[in-house]
Amino acid sequence: MSMSDTVAQMAPPDRPDRRPPRRIGAPFLTTPALVFVTIGLLAPLALMLRNSFNRFDPAELMISAFTAENYVKFFTDAFYQEVLLRTLGISALATAICLVAGVPVAYFLARHVSAFAKRMLLIVILVPLLIGNAVRTSAWMLILNDRGVLASVLGVFGYEGPLGLMYTATAVTIGLVSVLLPFMIITLNSVFEAIDANLEDAAGSLGATHLTVMRRVVLPLALPGILAGTVLCFILSMNAYATPVLLGGPTFHMMAPTVYQQVAKAMNWPFGSALAFILMSVTLILTVGVSALVQRKYRRWSE
Amino acid sequence: MGNAQAKTIRIGYTAISVLVIGFVVLPLIFIVWMSFFSNRILSLPPEGYTLDWYRRAWQMADFRNGFFLSLRTSLIATAIALILGLPASFALARARFPGRETINTILMSPMIVPGIVGGSSLFVFFLEVEFLTGWRIAGSSPGLIAAHSLIALPWMIRLVTTSLIGMNPSVEEAARSLGAGPLTVFFRVTLPVIKPGVIAGSLFAFVNSFIDLEKSLFLVGPDRTTLQIALINYLEWNFDSTIGAVATVQIALITLLLLVTDRYAKLSRAF
Repeated sequence: MSMSDTVAQMAPPDRPDRRPPRRIGAPFLTTPALVFVTIGLLAPLALMLRNSFNRFDPAELMISAFTAENYVKFFTDAFYQEVLLRTLGISALATAICLVAGVPVAYFLARHVSAFAKRMLLIVILVPLLIGNAVRTSAWMLILNDRGVLASVLGVFGYEGPLGLMYTATAVTIGLVSVLLPFMIITLNSVFEAIDANLEDAAGSLGATHLTVMRRVVLPLALPGILAGTVLCFILSMNAYATPVLLGGPTFHMMAPTVYQQVAKAMNWPFGSALAFILMSVTLILTVGVSALVQRKYRRWSE
Repeated sequence: MGNAQAKTIRIGYTAISVLVIGFVVLPLIFIVWMSFFSNRILSLPPEGYTLDWYRRAWQMADFRNGFFLSLRTSLIATAIALILGLPASFALARARFPGRETINTILMSPMIVPGIVGGSSLFVFFLEVEFLTGWRIAGSSPGLIAAHSLIALPWMIRLVTTSLIGMNPSVEEAARSLGAGPLTVFFRVTLPVIKPGVIAGSLFAFVNSFIDLEKSLFLVGPDRTTLQIALINYLEWNFDSTIGAVATVQIALITLLLLVTDRYAKLSRAF
């Protein structure tokens, strides 16, 4: 045993040499918050999982049982499969658009803008993000409706007649992209900032064009972060509520509004609970699967 | 790379960024502009300008009461998040103990579980508790505040923990070795250093609670609607500049809070 180890052992226990110190009482500081989250989130979720195996009864609401019929109902009823497929399709499309539009903006903010301008632009991007779905969606209703801003602007160019954009998949996709873009831009921006700009200069001075530098140097290095941003956008759009309800209208069904409808309106808690767990499981399986796939490819790419 | 080429690339990036950021921001600019139109039926260009819609929005009980209910709920939720989150952040940032990662994940989970799923499970949970005990929680103030505290807590912990990790503990060590007691060290040394993190955490907690729609949807009562719920209820059947007036007030409030937060912490760090 070396001298320093002996000294460390002799030091009083509340003043150890190395950081972070180990304090016996520390974990208890998390207890109040932990109890709160357990009662407010984990217990209700566990109850919901249990309820998804119960049976619905119009008179008594819920009958205790242990049946898979709610899950069977989902996978045998074409209506609900269509809802899931529509949710998946719209989410994939919105995420892809965010990726294509978000990369250049995030890169621009990381490389071509002064520190002050960047700070201001980040606030400009964060305001729409933190403005809330109700306000943002109403702004899109103002633009997309048949007598709205877009119709007026097109009217100036001679286009008359109804736009027919409201209550369509297009309107929902536009709304979702505008919700998700700020998330994508902010995630990607910190990824690009972590990449050493000298690498790009080096590749450029060796004769690589900008597109080659992006494709061969920047994007491979940024891939894990790009993946994180993409997964985040996909999860958020799978669970979107306000955008499909307000821009899609009453006949455009996506998963989150359907969960709300079943739990709060139809009071069919067992089926609503099953829907919620199907939504979470499908999202989880897809994001974990795609991440694993991309990471395996990435390893091959970077070798 | 030639200078001309570098310039082209720069212009290209600028053009794309202007388009994309415009796409995100323009809707908000339009709705603010619209809130001043004097037209009864919305159309462009405006016939004139007026502040009438603001008066009308203020006169509508749903919006006025909704605003004050949201304000009160989010303020209380932020205070609860502060009380629960501050000690937890200290433990997570300063100490190393078994299960630390798990505890961190659990405390962050309200941010990860989708709002509709969290909201519907809380709604059913509250009603089942009511069946068993007779306590009415869903649709009551405590129920709403509990849900909003759950939204606020992870933001608080995330931002306070970040600022605690960035703090040099030897400052506290120095104060202690000069004879300061633990309370003096906390209030005179630690708190001033992490104040920006606490302020940023509180503001983010407040804003995210204020704009919440998905969880509140399940927990509002007939005469107890938050501003966001009042907005979407109104939007289902009407669309006029009253919406614009309410939206403008909210945009102004949130922009102001973000500008204040920006003075204290790097905004992008919150995500």
